[in-house]
Amino acid sequence: MADANRIYEMMRKSIETYDSDAAVAAAEQAVAEGLDLLEAVEKGFANPIRELGEAFDRMEVFLPELTLGADAMKAGVAVLEKALNEQGGKLEKKAIVVIGTVEGDIHDIGKSVVATLLQANGYEVHDLGVEVPSTRIIEAAESHNANVIAMSALLSTTMLYQRDVIDILKNKGTRDKYYILVGGAPVTQAWADEIGADGFAHDAFEAVTVLDKVMEGRAK
Amino acid sequence: MNFKEIAKRSESGALTESKDFLMKAVAANAMKLSKEYDITWDGKTFINLDDDMADRCFQAGRQLLINTGLYSMNSRRVIKFSESEIDDALRYTRPEIKMGRGKDQVSIHHRQVEDERKPFIFCGPFNANVHEDMFVRLNEVFSREKIVDCLFFPGYLNEVDGQLIRPTSALATQMALLYGQWAREAVRRGGRPDMPIAGHAVMAPGEIACTNEDWGLRSTDPRAMVLISELQVDDVTLTRLAYYLSYGCPIYMAFTPLIGGYGGGLPGTAVSAVASFIASIMLGGEIVHIGPQHMKYKQQTNQHSLFLSSLANQAVARNSNIISTTSHTTSGRPGSAQYAHEFSALALTSVTSGSNVSGPRPAEPLGNNNVSPLMGKLFAEVAHAAAGMSRDAATPIVEALYAKYKDHLDLENAPKGQPFEELYDLSTLTPTAEHQAVYDQVKEELVKLGVPLT
Repeated sequence: MADANRIYEMMRKSIETYDSDAAVAAAEQAVAEGLDLLEAVEKGFANPIRELGEAFDRMEVFLPELTLGADAMKAGVAVLEKALNEQGGKLEKKAIVVIGTVEGDIHDIGKSVVATLLQANGYEVHDLGVEVPSTRIIEAAESHNANVIAMSALLSTTMLYQRDVIDILKNKGTRDKYYILVGGAPVTQAWADEIGADGFAHDAFEAVTVLDKVMEGRAK
Repeated sequence: MNFKEIAKRSESGALTESKDFLMKAVAANAMKLSKEYDITWDGKTFINLDDDMADRCFQAGRQLLINTGLYSMNSRRVIKFSESEIDDALRYTRPEIKMGRGKDQVSIHHRQVEDERKPFIFCGPFNANVHEDMFVRLNEVFSREKIVDCLFFPGYLNEVDGQLIRPTSALATQMALLYGQWAREAVRRGGRPDMPIAGHAVMAPGEIACTNEDWGLRSTDPRAMVLISELQVDDVTLTRLAYYLSYGCPIYMAFTPLIGGYGGGLPGTAVSAVASFIASIMLGGEIVHIGPQHMKYKQQTNQHSLFLSSLANQAVARNSNIISTTSHTTSGRPGSAQYAHEFSALALTSVTSGSNVSGPRPAEPLGNNNVSPLMGKLFAEVAHAAAGMSRDAATPIVEALYAKYKDHLDLENAPKGQPFEELYDLSTLTPTAEHQAVYDQVKEELVKLGVPLT
C-alpha cells in the first residue's frame, strides 16, 4: 500500500506540474508493480485533475495549465487503460460523448474546456473540433456508439445548426439514442427547449453537473 | 503592410497545428514575457496608474507578436511579421480617421491617457438580435441621439417571416441586402442620412451584399472584422479585409482578449491584448476595438476586465498612434439600473485610459430587441464626462459603482431588463415614464458620485 501511495503521489505530481512524461512514467510503474489499475486511475489521476478543474473554476489556474494537466492525465490513463485491456479488464466510462462546434462556427475555447472537464470527470470524449457539419456529428456519434452529443455555437447565426442535428436524427429515427446537450454564448434554456435538446449548460462545469445527474439517473 | 502580402503569407507560412500555436507559441510566450517585463496586478487596483508598466506592457506585446505571428485558422499557417515590418506599421498608423459624409461626417482620433478630447461614440444595438418588424424603428431612435457619432452594429436579423436564417444561404444574402437598406433607412428617418454605420452582417458574402453607395453601407462606413482569441484570424475576416480595403472603407478591427484563456492570468492576457492591437493594424485595421472579456464571468465589467482595459489601452495610448475603442459588455440588461452602473464603471476606466467607446450591450440578451437607445445616450454622456478626468479621480467612482453590482455578475441572476418595445412608447418612439425614471435616477446617482454630467 505504501508503494501504491508513493506511485499515486507521483501521478498527482505529474498533473500538478503538467508533465506528460512523468505521468506516463508513473503509470508504467503502477503497471510494473501490479497495482490495482482502476484504483490507480481514480486515486492517481482522476482526483488531482478534478482538483485542477476546480482551481480553474476559481481562476487560480488558467486554460494553459488546465490543458497541460489534462494532456498529462490522458497520457497516463492511456498507459493504464492499455494494460487493463490486456488483462481482460475494462476502464468504465460514465458515458461516451461526441462534442463539436457546429458548422460555420470557428470558436473553439469553450467547447475545448467542456471536453477537457468531461474527460477529467470520467467521460470518454471524442472532440470533433470546430465547424463540424451536422451530418459529421451524427456519423461520429454512430461510429463511436456515443450516448451523448454535445454541441457548441458561439454565434446566434450558427446556433440553428444545433436544431438541424436534432431534426436529422429525428428523420433517421435515432433521436432517442442520444442525450443532446447544447451550449454557447447565445444559447439559452429557451432555445434548448425550442429545438428539443435534452440539456443546456451555461459553462463547462454546468455541463459536467448536468451530465452527471443524467448518468446517475440512468444508472439507477 | 500590403494586404496582398498578408494574404500570401496566410497560404505560405509555416504549417502548425492550432493547439501548438496556442499553447507553445502564445501561452508560453505570453507568460514568459509578462514575467520578463514585470507585468503585475495586485488583484485590487481598478485603473492602472503605473505609466512605466503600461510602457513595458507595450514592449512585451510587441515582442509577443514578433515571436508568435498571427495564426491563419483555415490554412493552419502562421503569418509572421518582422520587427521592422511591425515598427513601420506602428510608425505610419494614422491617428485620425474620417467616417460618414457631408454634414454628417465625423472624425475619430487616437486619444492619450487622460485626454481632454471627447471620445468617439459607437452606439447602437451592438449585434443584439433584432426582429425585422422593429429593425428600422429602434435604429432610428439610436440615430436620433445626437451624441452618438456612429450607428453601431444595427443588429442581427436571424429570422424572416418566422423562418430562421442559415448562414451563407440565399435567405442570409437576402436579409443582408435588407440589413443595408434598413440601416440606411433608419438613419435617414433619424435625420442623419449620411451618418456612419458600423456594419457587421456576420458572414463575408452578406457583408458584400449589403454594400451600396445609394441604399446600403458605403465606402465611408466603418466595417467590422474580428480576430479570434488569441492572435488568430480566419478566412471570413481575411475575405472581408480583401474586399473592404479595396473598396475603401475604414477598417474596424475587433479582438477579445480572454482573461484566463491562452494568455493565462491578467498579466499575460494584457500582453496578448497589446499584441492583438498591433496585429490588427498589421492587417489594415484603422480603428481597433478591445473587448476585455473574462473567461469565467463572460462579460467585461468585472474587476479583472476593468484593470485589463485600463492597462492595455494605456499601453497603446502612450506608445502608438493606434485609435482604440473599448466595447462595454455587461451582466445587467437594458432597462435595469445595474446595466448603467456597469457600463459607467467601464466607460470611466477606458476613457481615462485613452480609449474611445463602443457599446453598451448585455452579455446575454434575452430574446429580440433587448436594447435601449436611452441607455446608449447615458453611456455616451458618461464617456464624454470622463474626458479630461484623471485616473485618480475616476478610480473611487469606479470602485463605488463596482460595489453596487459586484454581487450580481452571474448572468443567470443579473437583472433581466426589458425589450425595446416595453422600454419605449412605440406610437411616439419616446421612452416610457418608467424607463425615463431609471435614466434620471442613475444620472443623479452618478452626479452624486462625482461624474461631471450636465
